[in-house]
Amino acid sequence: MSENRLSKKEVRRSWLIWLFNNQANYNYERMMGIGFLHSMVPIAKKLYKDDVEKQKEMLKRHSGFFNCEPCLGSSIAGLTVAMEEQKAAGGNIEGDAITSVKTGLMGPISGIGDSVIQGVIVPLLLAFAIDMSSNGSVVWPIVYSLIMVAVVFGISYSLFMLGYKKGSDAILSILENGIVNKIIAGANIVGCMVLGALVANYVSMSCGIQIQQTAESVFNVQEQLFDTIVPKLLPLLLTLGCYQLLKKGLSSVKVLLIIVAVGAIGGLTGILG
Amino acid sequence: MSVFQALLLGILYYLGNSSIVAGPVGYYTIYRPLIGGFLTGVILGDPVTGVMVGATINLMYIGFISAGGALPGDMCLAGILGAAMAITGGLDTEAALAIAVPIGLIGTLLWFGRLTLDSIFAHLADRYVERGEGHKVWIADVLLPQLMLFVLTAVPCFLAAYLGASHIEGAINALGGTVLGILIIIGGMMPALGIGLTLLYIFKGEARIFFFIGFLLAVYFGLSMIAVGFLALCCAIIYTQLKNAKGGEVNV
Repeated sequence: MSENRLSKKEVRRSWLIWLFNNQANYNYERMMGIGFLHSMVPIAKKLYKDDVEKQKEMLKRHSGFFNCEPCLGSSIAGLTVAMEEQKAAGGNIEGDAITSVKTGLMGPISGIGDSVIQGVIVPLLLAFAIDMSSNGSVVWPIVYSLIMVAVVFGISYSLFMLGYKKGSDAILSILENGIVNKIIAGANIVGCMVLGALVANYVSMSCGIQIQQTAESVFNVQEQLFDTIVPKLLPLLLTLGCYQLLKKGLSSVKVLLIIVAVGAIGGLTGILG
Repeated sequence: MSVFQALLLGILYYLGNSSIVAGPVGYYTIYRPLIGGFLTGVILGDPVTGVMVGATINLMYIGFISAGGALPGDMCLAGILGAAMAITGGLDTEAALAIAVPIGLIGTLLWFGRLTLDSIFAHLADRYVERGEGHKVWIADVLLPQLMLFVLTAVPCFLAAYLGASHIEGAINALGGTVLGILIIIGGMMPALGIGLTLLYIFKGEARIFFFIGFLLAVYFGLSMIAVGFLALCCAIIYTQLKNAKGGEVNV
């Protein structure tokens, strides 16, 4: 039986294939399904060395639809490897059970992965990197890239191994643990504050209206009204306006067109300057 | 821009979309205009302008979430061509942004094409599995889809960079200074949309007030983003601690 056990080599290989190729063939029909299938090939070959029929059966099981946030989703790939290993060793696991665990975890893990990685980690790191780079410093794009490499490799590898070694209970208990919610709540606060500062620094919109008060003095609305009370008030209102429109369900393309229209009309009439 | 440089930009665009740059790593780095703009600058011999323009264009896509809802746009194409136009056409950063975003919208067509055509190779993978040829799955997963992706991405980007970038300055000059002025106004306003899209995900509940605190800290005290970031971290920790103390539970 020992020859049917996986060694570290195949498990690592499976992870590497998942990491590099999960979206190599990204398609509407199965999304990352073929990438998932590819990552199971070395596992099937090792588990059913002499039995092509069994290899086929296992690979068929993994050629269906799969879509997940790829970094956290690597835990599902790791878990699947563990379940397949158990099944091959004569464990009491039906093939359908493996598929249903796999597809069942897809949604919740994507939900957390998208909101934590694409919703918080990447925007925050980008906000800092963009700020440091806006004077043309070439160091920060490189620093940002190195951090992202470490984040992606670190999360992907450790979660793959967690899924492989500890199984679905460990993944679920982490997901249901309050710590994740606490981190998300804290990250929202950090994100909100940084975005507020981003509005002040990077959205620009100013009023160009000048009112002739007397023969000599001109009242400049932007400088003498807005800038004395809240500089950057217009960018703030514009951002909140965009947010409200998006929240109401307007598509971002429509909001984009509204911005273009407002900018064009404001620029032509001199209201914006 | 030489043919060779335009060719390199095409390859850069392919790499931004490809999984061969360590899967998600490429998507989080080269695909982002900050990095794409920087590399475009390196290729065209002006990395400083590339970084500056890339950073500004990236503001639009700061909260880009592929799962849906975000600005539909190919930020990689917007970043590369935006930076290329700014460098070879001598365009202002804001004007480059105002032109790059519509380019990004056109770029999404390539995405639809790719995801549709890739289905063909999914069926090829089925056939390999059916025949028990597991070792050939990589052809259907990596080789053919990536070759197709290369043609689908590198060629249009090469053509757009080679033919478009050098003419953009003349086209804008022909339109006159007013058009450029309006493009700059629009480009200055556009990041509001990028930030608004990110707010959709995090501007919730009791965190909302912190958005205004961050805004005021930057406006009145002129604090840098990093300074606001560290203050925000402290605020978040204090906030969760207070909340725990009040609720008397470990879980919020």
